Amino acid sequence: MTGKTAPARRTPARRRAATRRPRFAIAVTVLFFALLYLPVGVVVLFSFNARKSLTVFDGASLRWYRAFFRDDLLLDSLGMSLQVSFVAMAGSLLLGVALALGLVRNRGRLGSLAGLVMLVPLITPEIVTGVAAMLLFKGTGIPLSTTTVMLAEITFSISYVTVILRSRIAALNPETEEAAMDLGATRRQALRLVTLPALLPSILASAVLIFALVFDDFVLAYFTTGVDPQPLSVRIYSAIRFGVQPTINAVGTLMLAGSIALIALALAIPRLFGRRGGLDLLSGE
Amino acid sequence: MATTDDRPAIPDTRPSTPAPSKPVRRDTRLWTWLLLPGTLWMTGFLVASLVLVATLAFGTTDPLGNPRFGLNTDNFAALAEPAYRTVLLRSLGYALITCVICLAIAYPVAYAIALRGGRFKNLLIAAIVIPFFANYLVRMYGWSVVLSDDGPLLKALRALGIADAGTRILQTGPGVIAGLVYGFVVFMIIPLYAAMERMDTSLIEAGRDLYGGPLRTFFFVTVPATRQGAAAGCVLVFLPAMGDFVSAQLMGGPDQIMIGNLIQDKFFQGQNWPLGSALTMLLMAVLFLGLLGYLRRARQDEAEAVR
Amino acid sequence: MPAHPAVRLDHVGKQYDRTGAFAVRDLELDITPGEFFSLLGPSGCGKTTLLRMIGGFVDPTEGSVLLDGEDVTGLPPNKRNVNTVFQSYALFDHLSLADNVAFGLKRKGVARAEIRERVGAMLDLVQLGHLADRKPATLSGGQRQRVALARALVNRPQVLLLDEPLAALDLALRRRMQVELKQIQREIGITFVFVTHDQDEALTMSDRVAVMNQGRIEQCGTPEDVYERPTSTFTASFMGTSNLVPGTYRAGAVHLDEGPALPVGPRAGLADGTRVNLSIRPEKIWLSDFEPDMAQTTGTVRETVYSGPTTTYLIDLAPGITVSVLEQNTVRSRREDRWSGGEQVDLAWKPEHCLVLD
Repeated sequence: MTGKTAPARRTPARRRAATRRPRFAIAVTVLFFALLYLPVGVVVLFSFNARKSLTVFDGASLRWYRAFFRDDLLLDSLGMSLQVSFVAMAGSLLLGVALALGLVRNRGRLGSLAGLVMLVPLITPEIVTGVAAMLLFKGTGIPLSTTTVMLAEITFSISYVTVILRSRIAALNPETEEAAMDLGATRRQALRLVTLPALLPSILASAVLIFALVFDDFVLAYFTTGVDPQPLSVRIYSAIRFGVQPTINAVGTLMLAGSIALIALALAIPRLFGRRGGLDLLSGE
Repeated sequence: MATTDDRPAIPDTRPSTPAPSKPVRRDTRLWTWLLLPGTLWMTGFLVASLVLVATLAFGTTDPLGNPRFGLNTDNFAALAEPAYRTVLLRSLGYALITCVICLAIAYPVAYAIALRGGRFKNLLIAAIVIPFFANYLVRMYGWSVVLSDDGPLLKALRALGIADAGTRILQTGPGVIAGLVYGFVVFMIIPLYAAMERMDTSLIEAGRDLYGGPLRTFFFVTVPATRQGAAAGCVLVFLPAMGDFVSAQLMGGPDQIMIGNLIQDKFFQGQNWPLGSALTMLLMAVLFLGLLGYLRRARQDEAEAVR
Repeated sequence: MPAHPAVRLDHVGKQYDRTGAFAVRDLELDITPGEFFSLLGPSGCGKTTLLRMIGGFVDPTEGSVLLDGEDVTGLPPNKRNVNTVFQSYALFDHLSLADNVAFGLKRKGVARAEIRERVGAMLDLVQLGHLADRKPATLSGGQRQRVALARALVNRPQVLLLDEPLAALDLALRRRMQVELKQIQREIGITFVFVTHDQDEALTMSDRVAVMNQGRIEQCGTPEDVYERPTSTFTASFMGTSNLVPGTYRAGAVHLDEGPALPVGPRAGLADGTRVNLSIRPEKIWLSDFEPDMAQTTGTVRETVYSGPTTTYLIDLAPGITVSVLEQNTVRSRREDRWSGGEQVDLAWKPEHCLVLD
C-alpha cells in the first residue's frame, strides 16, 4: 500500500520492518474520521449560528433551538416519533424475544420456516418493505396514520431483536434451564425465572437499540405515514429538500445527542450487569 | 427410605421381559407457541405485502389513476424502454462503484484499527458506528452542506489548487456516489474489521518474509484472508445503495436519478402503482441475483475451508 | 428395611432417532437406598445418558425407570423427587447464593420461614453460610460446586444425581471435595448416583461401582470387586493398570504362544484349549521372598522406572509379552539392590490373584 516506505533492510531490522507502521492506512483512517465527522460537525456548529447561513458562522445563539420549541408542527412530529418508537420497541420485543426463543429451541420445520421469514426484512431494501407496507395498508383499506407507521416499524424491528437475541440464547448454558426444571420448575417457569433474567441485559440493550433505530428511521415511516402528524424524520426530509433550514440543524443536533446517548446506553447495559461484550450488539448487523 | 405397607415387600414379581416402551411426549408445545405470534405477524404483514407488490405489478391503472389488479405484462414491457433501462444501469453502476470505493476506504481503516488500534480498538469502532446511528437524513443533509459549491470541502480543494471555481460535486454523479458511500461505508468496515481481527497477524509477518513489499503482502496475504468479510460487506453496502433515493435527491440532479427515485415517483407524484410495483420487483430481482451469487460464493469458500 | 430399590432401571434403552445407534442398551440396574453408587466409564459409554434418564432429561426409548418402586418413565424432571448436580453447576447467575439454594423449595411452596431455616442450614453444611448474599459470579470453582450441591440437597431428594461434579476442579481441590462429598453423603444418608470417568474417584468414594462400556454395564460391584476381580478384559484394563497376557488355557496354566506356561491354578468351567487373557495387577507380582504356594516363572528386565515410593519394572516373559511389576521401595531401598535392564529375574504370584478372562 505504501509507495514511500523505507527501503527494505536485510539484517536485524527485517523483523521490525515486518511490523512497521502502515503509514498509508493510518493516513486514510485519519482522513476518513475527519470526513465522517465533518458533516455532523457542520450541523451541530450551524445549529448555534446567529444567522440563517450554512457557510458563514456569525456568533453563537440559541435562536434555532427556540424556533424549534415554538414550532408546533415539529413538536407534534417529535411526539409522534417518540410514541412510534416506544410502541415499536415494546411490540417488537414482545414478538421478537418469543420468536428468538422459539427459533433456537424448535428445530422442526416450523422453526426453519420462521427463520426464513425472519430474514426477509434484512435482505430486502427498505424502499421495497416501505412500498409493500403502504400497498398492504391501502389495499386493505386501512388509512395511513400513526398506527400504520407503528405496525410497519414493529414488523421491521422484529428481525433485529431476533437476530441479536438468537445468538445470545444459543450461547446460554442449556444446563441452567434443566437445573430449574430439576428443582421443580415447569418449562414455562424455567423460562420466566431463569432464562429471561439471564437474557435481561441483552433484551434491554436491544430495546434501546430498537428505540434509536425506529426513531431515526425514515424510509419506512415515509411510505406508511399519514399527512398529519408526520414522524420527525419525514418532516426533516420535506424541509431539507427545499434548501437551507437552520431549524433542522437544531433538530438534527438534538436527535444526534439523543442517538448517541441511547447507543452509549445500549453499549453500557451489559457492563452494568457485570458482563462483557457490549460491542457485539453492533456487529450483529 | 420409608416405605408404606400397601406396597409389596418384594418387588421382584414383575416380569423380566423388557417393559413395552411407552409413548413419550417431550413438551415442545411451548416452543411452538413462542414461535407462532412472531411468525404469523411477519407472514401477515411482510410476506403478504410482498405478495401484494408482486401481484400488483401485473395490474393496470384505470383512467382516474386508480390501481386495478390484472394479468398483463405491460408494466414489465415498459421497463424495457430506454429511459428505464438507463436508470437501472445507472443505479447498478452507482451501487457497484460505491462498493468499490467503500472497499478502498474500509481496507486501510479496518487494517489500521485492527492491527494498530491497541487498546483503543473498541473505542475507534464505536466512534465509527455511533454517527451511523444518527439520523440518516441529518447526516446526508450535513454531507450535502460539506459538499456544496461554497462548502468547506470545495473551499479547501480550491485553496490547494486541486479544484477550480467551476468544479462542482453536488448535482453530479460523483456527488450521488459520495452520498451513498457516506451513508453505507460502515457496513463495509464492520465485517472487514471482524475478519481482520480473526486473521492471524503472523500471516502478515510471514507474508513480508515471502513477498517482501507491503503492497504485495497486502494483495497476496491480507486480501485473501479477509475475502469473506469483504464479500459480506459488499452485500451489506450494495443492498441499501441500490434501493436508496435520498442521496440522488440531495446530491444529484435530474440526470442522476436512481431506481429508488423512480419507485418513489410512481407511488407519490406519478400515481402509477402497478408500474411502481413492477419497478420494485425489478429491483428485488437484481438484488436477489446479487445475493444468490454471494451465497454461492460463500458456500464454495466454506467447502474449501472444510477441505 | 428397604423394600424397593431407590432406583430401578428395568431393561432401559435409548436409541437415537437419527443414527439408530444405542446410547444405552437393554440395561438392568438396582440402586439400594442410601448407597453411594458410581457410574464409571470412558466418555461416550452412555453413563451420562443413563443419569439423565433417571433425572428425566432423556426419555428411554424402551424399558422403564422406577424411583422407590414407582414408575416415573416419561415424567418430566420437575415431577421427580430427584435432584441433579450438573457438570457446569448451572448456577443461576442473577440470584444470590441463598436464592439459588431456595429455588427448589420455593417451587414446592414451602413456607417462607422454613425455607430460610433450611437454606441457612444447608449453606452452613457446605461452609458457605457467610456468603449467602453473594452472586455466584464472585465465587471460586470449589465454592460454586458447593452451591450446586447445596441447591440440590436442600430439597431432600430421594436420589441425588451428580454428573462429573468434580471434573472442572484442579487436582488438589478435587481430592478435598471427594472426601467432603463422601462425608456429606454419609451424614444425610441420601442415595448418590455419581457419574465419573475417573476410576480413582469412583474407587475412593463409592459403595458400589458400575463399570459401563458401549451402553452396557460391564460389571457392577463394590470397588474391591471391580478392582480385584474384574470379570471382563474391559474392566480389567479400564480399572487401573493390569497386565493382560494372551495365551491358551490348558490344565491349570495359561500357555503363552511362544514361551513358558504360567500356572494359574485349576479353573472350573474352562475347557482346555480356550483362548484367554491372563490378567494380573502389577503390584500382585512378587520379585523375591516367594511363598511356597506361589506360581513362578522367569523373565528379563527390559526397563526400570523409579518413581519415589515405588519402582516399576518392565519384564519380558516371551517375545512380545511384557508385564509390568510394581514394587514398594521398602524391599530394595538402595539403587544397587534393584535390577536393571538385561538382568534375569524370578517372578511369582499367588494363583488367586490371577484372573483368567475371555
